[in-house]
Amino acid sequence: MRILVLPILVPLSTAAVLMLAPRRPAPQRWISLIGSVLLLASALLVFLRVDATGIQVLQISAWPAPFGITLVADLLAAALVVAVGVVGTATSGVAFSGVDPRREAFGYHPLLQILLMGVAGAFLTGDLFNLYVWFEVMLVASFVLMALNRTRAQMEAAFKYVTINLLASSIFLTALGLLYGATGTLNMADLARVWPTISTPGVDILLAVLFLIAFSIKAGLFPLFFWLPASYHTPPPAIGAAFAGLLTKVGVYALIRVFTLLFHSMSPALFGLLLAMSAATMVIGLVAALNERDFRRMLSFNLVGHIGYTTASLSLLTPGALAGAIFYVLHHIVVITNLYLVSGVLLRLRRTTEMTRLGGIYRDRPLFSALAMVPVFSLAGVPPLSGFLGKLAILEGTFDAGAYWVGGLVLVVGLLTLLAMGRTWADSFWRPAETPDFAPPGAPYLVAIASLSLLTVAMTIAAEPLFDLTTRSAQQLLHRDEYVSAVLGATP
Amino acid sequence: MIGFIVSPFVVAIIGAWFVSRFPHRAGILAAWPALLAVLLANEMRRAVSAGGRLIELPWAPSLGLSLAFNLDGLGLLFAVLITGIGALIVLYASRYLADHAQANRFHASLFAFMGAMLGLVLSDNILTLFVFWELTGFTSYLLIGFEHERPAARAAALQALIVTGAGGLALLGAGVLLIDVTGTTSLSVMGASRASIVASPFYAAIAGLLLLAAFTKSAQVPFHFWLPNAMEAPTPVSAYLHSATMVKAGVYLIARMTPALGSTSFWTTAVTLAGAATMVVGACRAVQETDLKRLLAYSTLSALGVLTMLLGVGTREAIIAALVYLVAHAGYKGALFLVAGVLDHEAGTRDISALAGLRRAMPITAVAGGAAAISMAGVPLTLGFVGKDGAYDALLHATDWFPWLLALIVGASILLGVAGLLAGVMPFHGDVASVKDVREPAWPLWLPPLVLATSGLLAGIAPSVLNRPLSTAATDITGLPVSISLSTWHGVTPALLLSVLTLAAVGFAYMLHETLRTRTWTPRYGTEAVYNGLLSALDLMSRTIAPALHSASLRTYVMVIVITSALIGGTALITDPGLGSALPRTSVAAHDVLIVVLIIAGAIATAIARSTMGAVLSLGVVGYGVATIFLTFGAPDLAMTQFSVETLTVLIYVLVFRHFRGLGQLSPPLVRIRDGVIAIGIGLFIGGLLLSVATTETAPGLRQYFAGFGPTLGHGRNIVNVILVDFRAFDTLGEITVLATAAIGVRGLLRFAVDGQPDGAVQPVTSPIFRTAARLLMPLLLLFAVFLLLRGHNQPGGGFVGGLVAAAAFALYAIAFGVRRARRALLVRPMTLLGTGLLLALVSGLPAVLRGRPFLTASWMSGPVALGTPVLFDLGVFLVVAGVVLMMIFSLAEES
Amino acid sequence: MEGLLALTSGVLYAAGIYLMLRRRLAQLIIGLGLLSNGTNLLIFTAGGLTRARPPVLPDGAPALVEPYADPVPQALVLTAIVIGFGLTAFSLVLAHRVHATVGTDDVDDVGREG
Repeated sequence: MRILVLPILVPLSTAAVLMLAPRRPAPQRWISLIGSVLLLASALLVFLRVDATGIQVLQISAWPAPFGITLVADLLAAALVVAVGVVGTATSGVAFSGVDPRREAFGYHPLLQILLMGVAGAFLTGDLFNLYVWFEVMLVASFVLMALNRTRAQMEAAFKYVTINLLASSIFLTALGLLYGATGTLNMADLARVWPTISTPGVDILLAVLFLIAFSIKAGLFPLFFWLPASYHTPPPAIGAAFAGLLTKVGVYALIRVFTLLFHSMSPALFGLLLAMSAATMVIGLVAALNERDFRRMLSFNLVGHIGYTTASLSLLTPGALAGAIFYVLHHIVVITNLYLVSGVLLRLRRTTEMTRLGGIYRDRPLFSALAMVPVFSLAGVPPLSGFLGKLAILEGTFDAGAYWVGGLVLVVGLLTLLAMGRTWADSFWRPAETPDFAPPGAPYLVAIASLSLLTVAMTIAAEPLFDLTTRSAQQLLHRDEYVSAVLGATP
Repeated sequence: MIGFIVSPFVVAIIGAWFVSRFPHRAGILAAWPALLAVLLANEMRRAVSAGGRLIELPWAPSLGLSLAFNLDGLGLLFAVLITGIGALIVLYASRYLADHAQANRFHASLFAFMGAMLGLVLSDNILTLFVFWELTGFTSYLLIGFEHERPAARAAALQALIVTGAGGLALLGAGVLLIDVTGTTSLSVMGASRASIVASPFYAAIAGLLLLAAFTKSAQVPFHFWLPNAMEAPTPVSAYLHSATMVKAGVYLIARMTPALGSTSFWTTAVTLAGAATMVVGACRAVQETDLKRLLAYSTLSALGVLTMLLGVGTREAIIAALVYLVAHAGYKGALFLVAGVLDHEAGTRDISALAGLRRAMPITAVAGGAAAISMAGVPLTLGFVGKDGAYDALLHATDWFPWLLALIVGASILLGVAGLLAGVMPFHGDVASVKDVREPAWPLWLPPLVLATSGLLAGIAPSVLNRPLSTAATDITGLPVSISLSTWHGVTPALLLSVLTLAAVGFAYMLHETLRTRTWTPRYGTEAVYNGLLSALDLMSRTIAPALHSASLRTYVMVIVITSALIGGTALITDPGLGSALPRTSVAAHDVLIVVLIIAGAIATAIARSTMGAVLSLGVVGYGVATIFLTFGAPDLAMTQFSVETLTVLIYVLVFRHFRGLGQLSPPLVRIRDGVIAIGIGLFIGGLLLSVATTETAPGLRQYFAGFGPTLGHGRNIVNVILVDFRAFDTLGEITVLATAAIGVRGLLRFAVDGQPDGAVQPVTSPIFRTAARLLMPLLLLFAVFLLLRGHNQPGGGFVGGLVAAAAFALYAIAFGVRRARRALLVRPMTLLGTGLLLALVSGLPAVLRGRPFLTASWMSGPVALGTPVLFDLGVFLVVAGVVLMMIFSLAEES
Repeated sequence: MEGLLALTSGVLYAAGIYLMLRRRLAQLIIGLGLLSNGTNLLIFTAGGLTRARPPVLPDGAPALVEPYADPVPQALVLTAIVIGFGLTAFSLVLAHRVHATVGTDDVDDVGREG
């Protein structure tokens, strides 16, 4: 399927064009927006084909797998690429509300497109070393976006972010080198065949551990997640939205892929480890979020905590739990991106996201408040929005798998989220304001937030088709043969 | 019909717009719930004769969610109350909040609540019931916090949200468990599956969670503390949610689940005790309050306790009594709350000690208050009397609980009667008005309480009108056919005597109400303190954890990652041993040992170096050593790349680190030893793993394929290059993107914070010999670069090394003539090189697409010299690399 | 030889990690550089060592004759070196800017909130 490469080529071309285009804001923003919309369109095309006819495969450079690099789109990858398009369009859209002119002059827009390219590549690749390359692409773009900053706090956050992620990349690369030495292949489908036959005993579990650590750092799991709350609250909100919505999800995706494709028959201790890390992440993330006085910092802790939901469910590896995990990822991408955009509006209104300087927004900005209510309370799990549906899916999955305490933890952490969000709403929106607004929210922001809120509502109404999608996706992931034969059996 | 049930949600949105356009006509909205009430009453008539009916609209069957409604007696009874009282409340609120700026949001939330409540009581699907349950909690949060600028209102709203939210989540857990146990989501089917539910090992969990939900929602002890605080809400809200409807949801749930879960000792004991405790606590606290709303709140609490207790007792009489009591309470309590609102609105105070003698000023309201009060006190010919009488009767015959519950309910009833009089009679009693200039309010404010209060009187006189609806409801609860015949007069029964006694006591106690206020028992320790304590503990944890998570030193993060990796790796190693190694397969030569020693020495020197330059030079030694290893073991391209990259890296290190001081040790020796141990541990781990993997034969499939097809289809003899620009060109595409991005980053970092033109801190070398040499060398180097590019496909070389050499040419020029002239010599901006190179690499993949092949498939032109798209790709790499290196070097050199 | 190179790689990892735990910005970046070298050496060694037989067909030869060095790890390492170079340069300049902005090169002072 030749268009499978489009979600990667479109942002690359857009970036290249942006590098050659005039540096003025207007052409940069428009080209970026058009590029993002094209990315979304190509992602939808891919998704519709995958939905209709099954796993799609493209052998880049026409060399057959496992020798060349394969692009593979199953339902999970295709859905996630659509999410990339959505987040990309939203982020490009809000740029029209104004971007720091120095950032814009130094490549804000091409960097964003490169980020999108890296994420899309990571989701679509069927080769583990290629995955490393796309990881680096998206990371370096995020590094630069973080590093082009103004304040000392931002600089410090960028440094922590960069260093830890470089360390994680080293771990990933180490594992890759050893993997090739042990198996002689880098293609994921081929590895699925070969992994159980690794001749040197003990190597497979140690490799699994290395991959687990590298991906857990990227995903933001305890105890490897400190870099996230230390840095995610500093970049401009649109960038923060892209990071929160996409970057951590790549880590989660990588975990899903290796656990379902490669580690599925390994020692239960490995799964137990993932589960323990996830449970700790959930609890610690949400407890830490409770007392945060800065909206964006509260969001980054929330982000971390809710990643735990997904990976905990993943670790159970049953169809129901996996479907719940995928559902939750999709819901979470939309909601957390939306919330970071909301923080962007708060920043415009008050030039800060410290909750002591907010307030009075419910009274003065009814439209914005009504729109913001959707992601805030969807994250908290108030039904019938997508957060509730995701929790229900995970709850049903975990109870079916007999992991009752995990389900109970889901409920308790859900209560903590409700507390955090209820408080945040009261402090940020309801409390009377002490300072006036500096600037209006801006139509681009409102449009973006409204679209994402509408998407959340649509996920509620279309809960059945969406859950059906995630169930089929889970089945696809657990029936590895479909994946392997699609990749290895295909002709270039 | 389903449309009608969910219609309030739609009306919420329409109403919000309507009220903002026509703020003074908001009362018209009351017509809709009134209509619904009529419709539902009609349904009730049908249900009475024909039994309940199920209607369903699927939503998400795979998750177990569907809009399934069971229109049976129990649900419809509540539904009629919700819509009927709702209509009155909307009318009242339209006037009460007529001048409020956010009235439209109020009405939206109120209608949303109504829809949620309606869905709750009619729902047949347990998960959908949870949805509506939580929605009532959420809308209640919005309504309690309506006057959101007051801290007390916000706090109360949050408290209610959390307490009832916790219960809600318990309900969700119970629901999923029930679905697992019974295999159905339908409540009506579950009602028939009692045997399997009770026998299941999950019964205690299910029942416990469910009761948790019910008790939090209906404010039973120990979860009762949120209800009085919820009085921060505007009075219409208090009247509607917190006396007539939402708080009854828990009672509803208990009633609804009785067929499925009830009649076990666990259930009966828990429900009865909770109800009794709440009844007592509420009644005692009620008479201690001077604030009208809080008084009424506590009395509501007590009434909820009565209902719960009666449902717990569970006998036929008790259930009937509960239903009557429920209806009566809705009538008189709603009326009293509305009267309290009127008093607050007109007289400006809610303090009963400040209100007296207002009957002349507001006669109609006085009548309403009085009628409601006597129903609450249980005067005959009121519905309240019928309910109380029935309750006494039931408890007289409840042999398990006799006489304790009876004693308690009599005592509570006395106190409640006093409370009713305090709220409904006392403010109006007397000749002299305590507050001046008070008038009868507008009709939307006196009509609703009057209607509610008089309905209690009418129903009290002819209670048989309720026979059939309540019978149907009771049947649904008990699962057995029940037929009720209510009447005001049963003859002289012990219950009647008790009622008379109660009334007498009420009258007596009323006169002593001041004493009551101070002398009634109060529980010393409240559970609210527990709740607050829990929250404080959470906050403390949060304040402790959060800073540690985000403000710790970077080294701590690194340490945690390293130690975690070591722990996990070590555990895996220990539990799954057998990490052996085969014998080394490659021989060792003397010069190899030398290189290895050099590398190791360099590494150690880097680690312990005191000066930055020393560390950098040692790093360079390591890099060159590794390059030599590459050369020795058959990797010429790799060695060339490593040599050039290492040189470049050292150069950049030097350019950057000239700003840094020395590297004197900051950490104490013990810390260094600890770090050293950890580091050595990691090194051993990795080294061991590597040894194990390196000594085993790697499957040759890939390299044989590449070596085989490289010269043929790949048209190249340098297999590594063919892999990079053909077999795995996609990797290279990503790689040059990384490079380009990094260069943009370097440039941006150096220029971003600096304003004005860079003036070049690195001075060119001005010696004429050097300059002449540079002038000569530069074109030679450029030619060499192109040569490397073109030959790369068949011999060591390639785009990357070529680009580096090309960049070196311009760098040399810059050293000789300065950066500015070098830039001019380059003719284009480095950024242009980047963009062009990327586009070129991209474009080289497109001819394949035009031929219908996958992206980046190589296309070759036949002829004497093999020219194909991979060469174009390599050219793209060349340009990007040159641009990257130049961008970095120029920016670094220009930094002032 | 595998043993020697495994030892070397292990030493590089150890030295790199040790430096990353030190308190100066420069040491942290240099540590990452050592780590990167160690990883490259690891990839190269893990794939198997072949002495002095590069995977380049000599002129006139129709095919490569066994044994020859495995080109795959070489390509991987090359990519890793290039990517690593970009990232190293960037992180160096970032460290430089942090030093300039924060005013100290003590890692513990970066991002510490009073």
